[in-house]
Amino acid sequence: MNAIDVANAALEVVDGEAEAVAHVEHSGLARFAGSEVHQPTLIENAMVTLRVVQDTRVGVATTNKIDADGLAEVAERARAAARSAPPDDGFPGLAPPADPPKVEGFDEDTARLGPQEQAKLADAAIDAGGDVPVYGFFTSAMSELAVASSTGLSVQQRMTDATALVVAADENGSGYAEQTAWRAGGIDPALVAQEAAGKARRTRGGGEIEPGVYRVVLEPYAFADLLDYFSHDSFGAVGLLEERSYFAGRLGEKVFDEKISITDDALDPRGLPKAFDFEGTPKQRVELVEHGVARGVVWDRTTAAQSKNGAQSTGHAPPAELRDWGPLPSALSVSPGDAESVEELAELVGDGLYITRLHYLGVVHPREGVITGMTRDGTFRIRDGKIAKPLVNLRFTVAVPDFLRDVLGLTSKAALVNSQNFYGERYPYGVMTPAIASERFAVTGIGSKPGI
Amino acid sequence: MRDVCSAAVDAATGAGAEYADARVVTKRNQFVATKNGRVERLADSESEGIGVRVLVNGAWGFACDRRLSSEGAREAALRACTFARAAAGRHSSRQLAPVAPASATHRTAVDRDPFEVSLDEKVAQCLAADEGMAGPEIVVRQAMVRAQREHKLLLTSEGTEVEQELIECGAGIECAAARDGVFQMRSYPSAHVGSSCQMGWEYVDGLDLSGEAPRVAEQAAALVRADVCPTGMMTVVLDGDQVALQVHESVGHPTELDRVYGTEASYAGTSFLKADDLGSMQYGSDLMNITADPTTVGGLGSFAFDDEGVPAERTAVVEGGLLTGFLTSRETAARIGAGNGGSMRADGWNRMPLVRMTNLHLEPGSGTLDDLLADVSDGVYMETNRSWSIDDKRLNFQFGTQIAWEIKAGKLGRMLRDATYTGITPKFWGTLDAVAGRDSWRLYGLTNCGKGQPGQSAHVSHGAAPARFRDVQVGVGT
Repeated sequence: MNAIDVANAALEVVDGEAEAVAHVEHSGLARFAGSEVHQPTLIENAMVTLRVVQDTRVGVATTNKIDADGLAEVAERARAAARSAPPDDGFPGLAPPADPPKVEGFDEDTARLGPQEQAKLADAAIDAGGDVPVYGFFTSAMSELAVASSTGLSVQQRMTDATALVVAADENGSGYAEQTAWRAGGIDPALVAQEAAGKARRTRGGGEIEPGVYRVVLEPYAFADLLDYFSHDSFGAVGLLEERSYFAGRLGEKVFDEKISITDDALDPRGLPKAFDFEGTPKQRVELVEHGVARGVVWDRTTAAQSKNGAQSTGHAPPAELRDWGPLPSALSVSPGDAESVEELAELVGDGLYITRLHYLGVVHPREGVITGMTRDGTFRIRDGKIAKPLVNLRFTVAVPDFLRDVLGLTSKAALVNSQNFYGERYPYGVMTPAIASERFAVTGIGSKPGI
Repeated sequence: MRDVCSAAVDAATGAGAEYADARVVTKRNQFVATKNGRVERLADSESEGIGVRVLVNGAWGFACDRRLSSEGAREAALRACTFARAAAGRHSSRQLAPVAPASATHRTAVDRDPFEVSLDEKVAQCLAADEGMAGPEIVVRQAMVRAQREHKLLLTSEGTEVEQELIECGAGIECAAARDGVFQMRSYPSAHVGSSCQMGWEYVDGLDLSGEAPRVAEQAAALVRADVCPTGMMTVVLDGDQVALQVHESVGHPTELDRVYGTEASYAGTSFLKADDLGSMQYGSDLMNITADPTTVGGLGSFAFDDEGVPAERTAVVEGGLLTGFLTSRETAARIGAGNGGSMRADGWNRMPLVRMTNLHLEPGSGTLDDLLADVSDGVYMETNRSWSIDDKRLNFQFGTQIAWEIKAGKLGRMLRDATYTGITPKFWGTLDAVAGRDSWRLYGLTNCGKGQPGQSAHVSHGAAPARFRDVQVGVGT
């Protein structure tokens, strides 16, 4: 059964107002460590979530038993949940019928990849590591999302995604690289491993520096992570409504350097395109920051109904199990700059730091956008405009608005960085960003040397 | 379900697997959440399927299928063997520590089955607590309760057949206050989706969410007016909740032997520990005693057998400050030549078991929180985790708490906000100079421990009491 058939079958067993969201996954992930595959995982699953509405009382139930008995059971559990819910005057109603935009994001060749091919592509990465052992995975998947409801809504999308991710590391150094795309053919696991291994070789003998505020170049991997964490509180409607967002009270104001423009653009064929959200509302391209000016956040139907300013859903409703997080961006895209390369950014920095990747970020102060974390797998000093000696891993504590206030430059090319760690159901998303150079990056501690 | 498991194991061994195990898992979750007097989420989810793990020519393979039929089981087993064969060729020889085949059943003891408690009652509990947090400057009030029942049957090609039903539930409240651009949160009994326990609904009832709600709101409102925590080297006393997180991040993860061997390097990271540190590495002061105990009553990491069929056993990880144990699988135990595993857990039927914490405790010392404070002339007392970050080797950490108080001449003084502290793991544990006693020791249950690719979320508990650390770096500049 494909996803829309599952959704329609679920909807049929409910009388009255209801919505069914079906999510189907066929995936394989060949995980390797120390240059051997050690955790190969193949997943076959189909989930359906029924949202039943009884006079503004809303109940939700989910199952992966999609035969007639299973669907009857899930319908009864959803009805029972609705009966226990108090009336909700703020319920915006189910989404009306929609004609979502046509998007890219499905590739037959990627969908056909099986365990043999997935293992072979992992093998290509392992071979390319050379003298540096590699740790990482190759994964590919075909997933489907469909939403059908009693309003007549019926939308479906087939998606493919593939990622090759490599940490190359030995006792003295480590490097990182990844490629993500909806076409596996656009990914070269060997190249990913070579990039990671090359960087690992350059990190050997990392030295220490004094904590302080430095100029910095962040590779797309690092900037994507920083921006993703900042977005959780600041680019979603819940953060704005609850005054947790840095944008609360600042919409329309210049908050960042004018070189910074950020959208959430799930329609971009260079990313991991999505046509609609988990309520079936068509995806919109949302202007979040335009030349440094805070322009908006993303909305779903629930938060739009709570808005006092007539906001409309932008197509960012999350899946049912994440509904209390509210709408969040899932296709962040940073406008590129003029720099031809990261080396050119290093020239702009002159004296500072070069950072490949971040690790284990934590939000210290959501309202001020302060985030802490560690650098990892490729941290270097920039001296005289050149990427120079390797450094140990560094702890940073950065107010993202400060980091983005004085931007020295961005590269002209952007990269798609995978943001899904494949928890729960497969739903590929990522951040499209160039590398960035900034005036301010606060190093607040010294960590361990790179290496395994 | 035994027939389904058996079909998978037979298919795998018939296809050449030298070892195979099959787990049929059915998991049901209920979750009720309210926000600002409105039910935000009322959900009841169920997922079932079979996961088959095989060892073919020394290479692992894992495949799963939602269909609980002989056909689904056999197909999953054959896919797992195909993946293992495709991945074979460069693997080293793989030994598994021996374990005696077991046949057993186990069920969490409960007074009130959480799934027998009506959704009406659950909604009412949340709304009552939500209402109890109302007040000026409170901009967000949230309450949640949850329940989970996981039934699993494990069959292995070595003859183990273990059936377990694990029941857990949890609850929590949280509110946020905002004033003049200052935003502060306060939670009970823990942040990040409350606290959970492997018990019946009596656990949730005992938390008395409604009774605690006014205090939580008062503290949130007071925090927006509180002074920012000062920075500097000072004595820090942590409440049990924050000690639990400290144990989790800086002892639990680094002692997972798969991290030590590098198999988690591409995601969660590795460890500053080496295998040969066992028995020789001084992890902390002599007051530091850490045990891994999957037999703890109420622990989220409690079971009779892990997901490899190894019986639950309490083991010492740190004794008198000395590293004496790792958390292991059968494979890593064989590699290090100590123990037989016992820490392998999978997040449901569609994930491969990984080395995970079970219940990891800081053993109690003596005295009370007041006794710990009494011996501090100038310091900070911190309560309830707010932020956490630690490096990939689990050495350099920075944690923040929701609330703090200055300690002056052995007594708590003014309330402080935005408190953080930072350190290097063994150095920090070396400054431990007091742990409160058994009467202050509590079990804290976390449901958001991430690891693995594809990602897996584990539920683990930590027993902890307030503890005192000297010469800690408090605060950082930005």
